[in-house]
Amino acid sequence: MSLYPDLKEGTVVVDGIDVRFYDSQRGNGEPPVVLLHGMEGSAEKDFWALFPMLAFTRRVITFDFGLPKDGQDLTLEHCVAQAQAVIEKLAPGSPVALVGYSFGAVVAEATAARKPDLVASLVLIAGWMKTDRHQLVRNGIWRELAQSGSSALSDFNLYSSYSAHYLCARTERDFQEIVEKSRRSSISPVVIKLSDNIDIGAEVQTISAPTLVVGCIHDQIVDVSHSRELFGAIRDSRYVEIEAGHAVVQERPAELFMLIDNFVAAPHATSPGDVYATSTP
Amino acid sequence: MMNSQNVLADNEQLQKEAERVNVAIIGSGFSGTGLAIQLKRSGEESFVVLEREHSLGGTWRDNHYPGAACDVQSHLYSYSFKPKPEWSRVYARQPEILEYLRDCATSEGVDRHMRFDSEVLGAAWIEESNEWLISTANGSYLARVLVTASGHLSDPKYPNIPGIDDFKGAKFHSARWDHDTSLEGKRVGVIGTGASAIQIIPEVAKVAGKLTVFQRSAPYVVPRMDREYSTAEKNMFARLPHTAEKLRRDLFWAGEARFPQRRGIESFISRVEGLALDHLADQIKDPDLRAKLTPDYAIGCKRVLISNEYYPTYLRENVELETQGIERITENAVVMKDGSKHDLDALIVSTGFETSDLPISHRIHGTDGLLLADHWARGEQAYACSTVNGFPNLFIMNGPNSGLGAGSIIFVIESQIDYILGALDYLHQNGYTRMEVTQDAEMDFAAMIDRNAQGTVWLEGGCKSWYVDERNGRLSTIWPDFMSRFRDSNGVFRPEAYEVRSLAEQKV
Ligand SMILES: Cc1cc2nc3c(=O)[nH]c(=O)nc-3n(C[C@H](O)[C@H](O)[C@H](O)COP(=O)(O)OP(=O)(O)OC[C@H]3O[C@@H](n4cnc5c(N)ncnc54)[C@H](O)[C@@H]3O)c2cc1C
Repeated sequence: MSLYPDLKEGTVVVDGIDVRFYDSQRGNGEPPVVLLHGMEGSAEKDFWALFPMLAFTRRVITFDFGLPKDGQDLTLEHCVAQAQAVIEKLAPGSPVALVGYSFGAVVAEATAARKPDLVASLVLIAGWMKTDRHQLVRNGIWRELAQSGSSALSDFNLYSSYSAHYLCARTERDFQEIVEKSRRSSISPVVIKLSDNIDIGAEVQTISAPTLVVGCIHDQIVDVSHSRELFGAIRDSRYVEIEAGHAVVQERPAELFMLIDNFVAAPHATSPGDVYATSTP
Repeated sequence: MMNSQNVLADNEQLQKEAERVNVAIIGSGFSGTGLAIQLKRSGEESFVVLEREHSLGGTWRDNHYPGAACDVQSHLYSYSFKPKPEWSRVYARQPEILEYLRDCATSEGVDRHMRFDSEVLGAAWIEESNEWLISTANGSYLARVLVTASGHLSDPKYPNIPGIDDFKGAKFHSARWDHDTSLEGKRVGVIGTGASAIQIIPEVAKVAGKLTVFQRSAPYVVPRMDREYSTAEKNMFARLPHTAEKLRRDLFWAGEARFPQRRGIESFISRVEGLALDHLADQIKDPDLRAKLTPDYAIGCKRVLISNEYYPTYLRENVELETQGIERITENAVVMKDGSKHDLDALIVSTGFETSDLPISHRIHGTDGLLLADHWARGEQAYACSTVNGFPNLFIMNGPNSGLGAGSIIFVIESQIDYILGALDYLHQNGYTRMEVTQDAEMDFAAMIDRNAQGTVWLEGGCKSWYVDERNGRLSTIWPDFMSRFRDSNGVFRPEAYEVRSLAEQKV
């Protein structure tokens, strides 16, 4: 994988599942950043921009969630165990800056609640804690299209992932690239199934790590209200909104990078309850 | 170069005649005008803007060559504190930008503070009174604080080609375009293929009888996504200002996300390189011509240029691209290294500006009379890209490490304005009259820049560019990090790096 020069790659086996990890290795003495990717699949797809930006100053680790073999169900416990195994293998004994995006944010919440010793700070991007009706409708359409083998599936993903404004402002060339990317990527039905049934609100309230919650104003997959509630649920959290769709990692990677980089460098530089203002460059 | 020490020799006489102000700003481009506006808005009335020319505008007053336009989108390449909803197009042309600057100055009332035809000939720090004595072509000034806003691309640089002075035909630099010389039907040569040249070349080709372009190194060129804004859009920006602010943020963050291109990240580089090389391949089919137009260094090492008209110009009958390298220039021709010769009626020099050795630094004398240029003999550096040890109460705008590889200089300028206002406020609040950055702070800052510069394309991309100081190999003109980091690091005044005192303390 070409995330970063001199990337170390390897595999850990968790519950009999292969989990592929990627490690930029060199750091600055601060806790390494561990990035947890979203529903659509792979660390590289979500973090091709964010990973190198962060790796200029700090050690960055990420991995691809492994799925159970033979169509068995994926559980949140599987995912938390994978995050724990990667952290304990690559950064044993020292807590990390855990950054979860979308479905990865749900895993990050559960990890921070259940394994507080692993987490020095927490960033939750476009995450949620209890699946709502809006998400179920979306998952239903997705299932319908996937089962019927419809070619509209990738367009549906693209349509719901990106903000309208972002898509319309692309050049023809950039838009075609987004379309191609969307055709190549896929979500596993077991991930959709797990995402139907997330309900960890009680656990989330126990999170003690300093947390930054990032909501996306134009998110059509995980409505921004979920992030606002996470901000309400986590005691030591601050909040910021980005003008992007769910695909914030593609639409505004540099803004996301600056927020993460500044926060993990000094999680307590801002106070619990702070809401970041949108600055005009 | 004028000897500034002589200019200041009769110090006492100058001081007697001098007009006293709190702040003197040298230059009336985007930097000087922007600072003046924000100073005035902060309530300061005692300041002057000293400008050597007859009117304001800097870059946009001087670069009126055919085709002149900005290459950062106008909604970003304008002050955030003076938004203009009516920008006519994505990339405004020179007259519209100059008009914008003039409107800003008059609507904010800073035009009254501008002193034209007042070239600063020398400035000297007066320790006894904690002031700068400034001598201009039109009177002298005493100022508590001096700001150089004299530009980084304002003094034309001419190539060192044997015989260039012998050329008898019309000859001028692109930043000093001679509109009285008609190029209609003439044999015209253009030396250079940088940002200005690629705007000029398509325009000159339309009128010249024969155009020869002398290229030393081919630039990367990507499509220019330019268009006019509709009336509906302009009214929308005016009626709903947050839509224009959102556009500005979209443009800013898109530029910010390009930075990993400069840090050797393959996935970023291959995208922009593909964009540029496909653009070339789309527009130029002839393999020989395409080869000549293909750059031989890593993308981003020099500015990535944007144009849709540049490449097709070489498909015209009357245009020739010459890449052999110039041997010398005669009264009426350019002679190439291979002995071939191009007879010319007019020669347009578009070879950039004096950047590594800032001309204003040869006119500023700090404590003990030290000349800024001598202090910088081994290369330019400044703490927070703004202040220099040995030069109290002096701020430099758009100086060392303040350029950008991709992005709007206005972002840098506004950060520096905030820094200067913060410092002025600090002096005022505490009754201090003298502040000087410590040598340690300046050296640490320079070391930080050097560390960040390692591994960037500017040092490792295999090209010769104005970003690197030839004297020491340091990256001295460009900011080697995200733009946001410029603002974090250099946009907020922090007193810790300074030694400060008041005049009263000094006398005891
Ligand atoms: C053709 C061209 C296109 C550009 N396009 C872009 C773009 O699209 N985006 C971008 O970000 N940047 C662009 N730039 C860079 C541009 O220089 C800056 O964006 C910006 O205009 C610099 O403003 P400034 O006020 O710092 O300097 P300047 O505009 O150069 O102004 C300096 C002023 O100081 C005056 N001065 C100098 N010395 C003295 C003295 N001794 N005494 C008195 N007055 C003095 C000069 O006459 C001048 O008026 C472009 C540059 C050029 C040349």
